[in-house]
Amino acid sequence: MDRSQISVGRATLGSAVRSRRKSRSQRQSMRSVFGVASRLGLTPALTTQRLNTSRKPYKSQTITEKINPEHLALLVKRQWKLSYVTPLYQFRHTQMTTYARRLSAFIAAEKQKGLAVEVGELQDTFKVCFSVLQGMSEAKDDPEAVLIQVKSRPMFAKQDEPQKTVWSGWLACVDGNPEYLNSLPTDFTCLPLFGSNGAEGLSSLVKSWFQINFDCCFGPLDIGETSLEWLAALWTNCNGKSNIQSLKMHWTIPAVHALHVEYTVSADDAWALWCSIRGRSLEESNGTEEEGCIDIEEVKSFMQGLMGHFYRHFRLDLSTGNLNQISTALGSATLNDRIKVSTSIYLISTLRLLTELALLRLPI
Amino acid sequence: MVYVFSVDCSIRNMNDSAKRSLQRLLRRIPFRMLKTSLDKWERLTAEQRRAIDLTPTKRDLIQEILSLCEENKWTEKHIAELQMIYVAENPDQDMWHTYQLVDPDDDARSVDLIQFKEQFKSHFREVQRNVFVKIRKHTDEAVWIRIAWGEGLSPPNNLRASYVVHHLQTPFVYVSSLSSKHKPLLLQALAFSTRHRGIKDANLSGRKLTALRDLLMRQYQHVFTTKFPSPLKEQNQSPLIEKEQSGPSAKRHRMAIEAFGEGALPAIQTAVYKLETKFKDPTNETMTERDEPFRCAVKFTSTNLLESLRSCASSGIASTPLTPLLSSIPLKGRNYFVITDNAPSACSQMSQTKN
Repeated sequence: MDRSQISVGRATLGSAVRSRRKSRSQRQSMRSVFGVASRLGLTPALTTQRLNTSRKPYKSQTITEKINPEHLALLVKRQWKLSYVTPLYQFRHTQMTTYARRLSAFIAAEKQKGLAVEVGELQDTFKVCFSVLQGMSEAKDDPEAVLIQVKSRPMFAKQDEPQKTVWSGWLACVDGNPEYLNSLPTDFTCLPLFGSNGAEGLSSLVKSWFQINFDCCFGPLDIGETSLEWLAALWTNCNGKSNIQSLKMHWTIPAVHALHVEYTVSADDAWALWCSIRGRSLEESNGTEEEGCIDIEEVKSFMQGLMGHFYRHFRLDLSTGNLNQISTALGSATLNDRIKVSTSIYLISTLRLLTELALLRLPI
Repeated sequence: MVYVFSVDCSIRNMNDSAKRSLQRLLRRIPFRMLKTSLDKWERLTAEQRRAIDLTPTKRDLIQEILSLCEENKWTEKHIAELQMIYVAENPDQDMWHTYQLVDPDDDARSVDLIQFKEQFKSHFREVQRNVFVKIRKHTDEAVWIRIAWGEGLSPPNNLRASYVVHHLQTPFVYVSSLSSKHKPLLLQALAFSTRHRGIKDANLSGRKLTALRDLLMRQYQHVFTTKFPSPLKEQNQSPLIEKEQSGPSAKRHRMAIEAFGEGALPAIQTAVYKLETKFKDPTNETMTERDEPFRCAVKFTSTNLLESLRSCASSGIASTPLTPLLSSIPLKGRNYFVITDNAPSACSQMSQTKN
């Protein structure tokens, strides 16, 4: 489309030159440089891209050999609140124990200051554990993911009672844009996706600590409706190999009293609809499309099909409301940045989409 | 009262078990409602009642009441009474399911409360011995029945009592906390004692008993009203409003009112539709040619579903005239529907299935 308008990013803030040109194998649509840039308050030289309009279907990957099963058990079947993180300055994967110690001290100090940690009744000391999540990164440029766990014991528990994890979080970069990653100066590590599970108080403490120590900043990931629709399509696409059991969508319609619509489609019927759309588009394309790639148009047709069936019965237009949750047996995602991956085989694929989203949301 | 359970329990055991039941019940009742319920129960002396008034915390209050248990010789029967009073005062907590009595006998209309009570209890006596039944008439003329079920030789379980609410001379019965095991017996007893030959699921359920009842009472009265008057005619309108209103928005508003009614509507909170209709999309041949139905389920939820749908209709989010699927909620007084294609027509029609 407007590929000729791709500009190589000029130097900003006197530091790095970052070029955000995507490789030719991925079809992109670029928004007008000025439109978006002025809205975000960026200098006109930088381009901001939209989400990929074309994606490879989820590949089922047995990652149980690659990733430590204990770590995997922690990641899967748990709901994570997502944020984006700007690149970390001087973050070293070799300093895990030092970081753990420093974060424990930080949490203890903040607690003493009287900051409410809101973990629950009378927690005693917090012990932090940093570990490298090996096996999560896909591309060779991806830095290794990091897992952070905060363990504690209630105040009046016995000494020999084991500490249990009260908060966990991770930083990851799965298949990040290699050009962007390579354009960063050497001291910066890009782990743009942050997930947390546990008390909000501890989450903000951990984020503050990162901000102070690595000169980064956190922000809401803002999974938009488009990404939710992508997930609906991608997960339904997996039904051939792994039964999704059902596709459940949740809309909120604005009315005098907010109307919530939960629309659940059986797996077989969602799959039949999806195949009818895929089959059709494969026939129509003249072979320029990459084999197996899913296009945004197919995703949109799929959603239109579902909403149309609803309309034919209820004559109520779902697009007047907001799609705010998608869930299947493989996982669930909500508009307010919560995600749960229920099966390890699609963990990497889901994180890939989320990493892309995080990179897009980075302010610079 | 019909009350049959093991007669060789000692008085002391009875008292202990009454105390335990009382404690469990008091814990469940929120603090602010305890005093009202105790007042209605009328089993405390004036002095005891005054002493209760002085206790500031729930924990102290519970201790105080438990200490009176032995003094006042309260039994499980009395505790059951208190529980029933509390539930009747706060009916919007449990999940209620509605049933409809059908095929009345000739003398169904003349059944009065005494007759009903006698018939109901005798039916239970004959069929199942180990139950504890209590029937009480509430202030709004509703008959409340509490049934505690016992298994084999063990005493009736007072924690999991079923409740039934019925207004005599109406066809509807509301039931909560009924297990599927006991359902046939209870429904049979109800049909028998109200002189009807059958009873069926009315496909209306929800937490707010008052909303379910209001909806059905409206529907019951709805038979006698033909059409709602147009709201526009009743107002003195300025020419500007008339000009503005005289258009599609006025029409939508009118249709919304016709379907749902004016003013405050019963606070039904959910409606569930199971759709088993074919997928008919002119732009998607593959799916349209498919023989199997497209199985899906839609659940609508709102703090007040009917008012929400009415506002969707007036604002245009829902196209008017409203589809019969939505307008059936107030019209037929139900909130559970199974929709199938019952005729080879362009738009699928609704077929009601009995559950």
